[in-house]
Amino acid sequence: MKKREALWFYIMVSPWVIGFLVFTLGPMIYSLYLSLTNWDLFNPPKFIGIQNYINLLTKDHIFWKTVGNTFYYGFISMFLGMAASLGIAVLLNKPLKGMRTYRTLLYIPATVPVVASSLLFIRLLAPDAGLVNRFLALFGINGPPWLLSPVWVKPALILMSLWGVGGGVTLLLAGMKGIPNEFYEAAAIDGANSRQQFQYITLPMLSPVIFFNLVMGLIGSLQTFTEVYIVTGGGPNNASKMIVPYLFDNAFRWYKMGYASAIAWVLFLIALVFTALVFRSSNMWVYYESEVKKS
Amino acid sequence: MNLNIRLPEKITTYAILTALSALLGAPLLYVFSIALASDESTYLAKFTLIPHEFHFENFIRIFQLDLNFSRFFLNSLTLVIFAMIGQIISSSMVAYGFARLRAPGKNFLFIVLLSTMMIPGEVTMIPSFILFRYLGWINTLLPLIVPNFFTNAFNVFLLRQFISRIPAELDEAAQIDGLGFFGIYSRIILPLIKPALIAIGIFTFTWNWGWFMGPLIYINDFNKAPLALGVQILSATSTSSQVPPWNMVMVGSMLLTLPMLLVYFFGQKYMDEFGVIGGSSAIK
Repeated sequence: MKKREALWFYIMVSPWVIGFLVFTLGPMIYSLYLSLTNWDLFNPPKFIGIQNYINLLTKDHIFWKTVGNTFYYGFISMFLGMAASLGIAVLLNKPLKGMRTYRTLLYIPATVPVVASSLLFIRLLAPDAGLVNRFLALFGINGPPWLLSPVWVKPALILMSLWGVGGGVTLLLAGMKGIPNEFYEAAAIDGANSRQQFQYITLPMLSPVIFFNLVMGLIGSLQTFTEVYIVTGGGPNNASKMIVPYLFDNAFRWYKMGYASAIAWVLFLIALVFTALVFRSSNMWVYYESEVKKS
Repeated sequence: MNLNIRLPEKITTYAILTALSALLGAPLLYVFSIALASDESTYLAKFTLIPHEFHFENFIRIFQLDLNFSRFFLNSLTLVIFAMIGQIISSSMVAYGFARLRAPGKNFLFIVLLSTMMIPGEVTMIPSFILFRYLGWINTLLPLIVPNFFTNAFNVFLLRQFISRIPAELDEAAQIDGLGFFGIYSRIILPLIKPALIAIGIFTFTWNWGWFMGPLIYINDFNKAPLALGVQILSATSTSSQVPPWNMVMVGSMLLTLPMLLVYFFGQKYMDEFGVIGGSSAIK
């Protein structure tokens, strides 16, 4: 019986095990090897040791620029997105009529595929005729040239990411619905106002959701590709080029497979370090119901 | 929450939400307006927020372009349907194994599974490309479809949570009635997790429908492109005037967005259930 059960376990999980070996572990090992070679896809790979990593980390100014751009974009868009979605979720969680309708309206932009929203934002952010600058002009603001300016191109991409803020709202709202009403009633009896209720009940109870969004958002923003590829092409003057678009250029435009693999590994290490940092810090601010806080 | 909301608070709440909805909704109206614009307005880039031209024939013209949009649409549909089938079958099998069956090495395998969630897909991108190129799968949908038959960690994790909530007595009763492990999976577990399987299907749909990078890497032949790539190709193919045909591009974007909206409206109740799981309890 036990043997048969074990056998069936291995049969049932075999799709994942095979997939893991063929599409994850195997490629990772091969990629590590490739990162130590010089390879143009057509001639045999030439082993060059850690030369790719040395070039990448010490000589390649564009690579460091892409790292900086990715962090700039990732952190600011994640922070603003989290703050905005928290604010919106608090409003939508009020027991008022019509909240479902507002929720749906605000969510719709999040269903738009990135390719479509990227193409749309090219039009929206056009310097003179674009909707955004015409809107700003209503308030007498002379809108910036957005995608044409090295300074404004990253804020432009951040603005675009904020359009999809409804996606995060849904998760937070689901979390808020799970907070027992008694908590708020008890707090209200003790005289806590809405700001205090938010600070001492909503926020701690939501911290696991916020944490989950943070980890996923962090890894996601490190992988930003489509927006950059379609909206800016990385320009002007590489001001919006990010790590993955640069990796893509190296691999599939310039056929520098070895160098691109080295970029992939550095990206992986960055993702690991960040995830580890977030997890380490989580004890300090994520509150789980099952735990009793030591004071 | 405070159940007696005072009038000023009510008014500010509605005011803020209405302003936000208008702000986030305006771009959608703009898409519609551009999609309905004439070729002349497009050439001059004269677009208005409120539509002032109504060329509804643009929605038919999109299917008569040199780029075959009905083909793009069918390619996307093929990709998404096979991806959903693959994910539903494989992730339910694997999740059942991890949730219910005991075997040496199981915990180790599960930790490996969880840790693969942290690996960005880009790390395996180049070797995968080389593998699929070696297999002669370039310019086919296979590199985009086949990996779905080998699950992903996220789906397994969610389904395992769901299966774990089913009382184990059910399995034992079925076992006494003479059902084997596969019988328990196919006749007891699968029918009980149907809502979760639908949710997995929806996730897979939304991940694959608008996917751009995969098709961009594997497909150079315009006839094989899924819709997301097709719309981008249309925007990048400059006409004689060197201006993208924005009205057609926006029609294409709407075509790309519509199925996502439909899935959102019809799948919302399944997603809500998983929103809670994915959002909070899953990581405990």
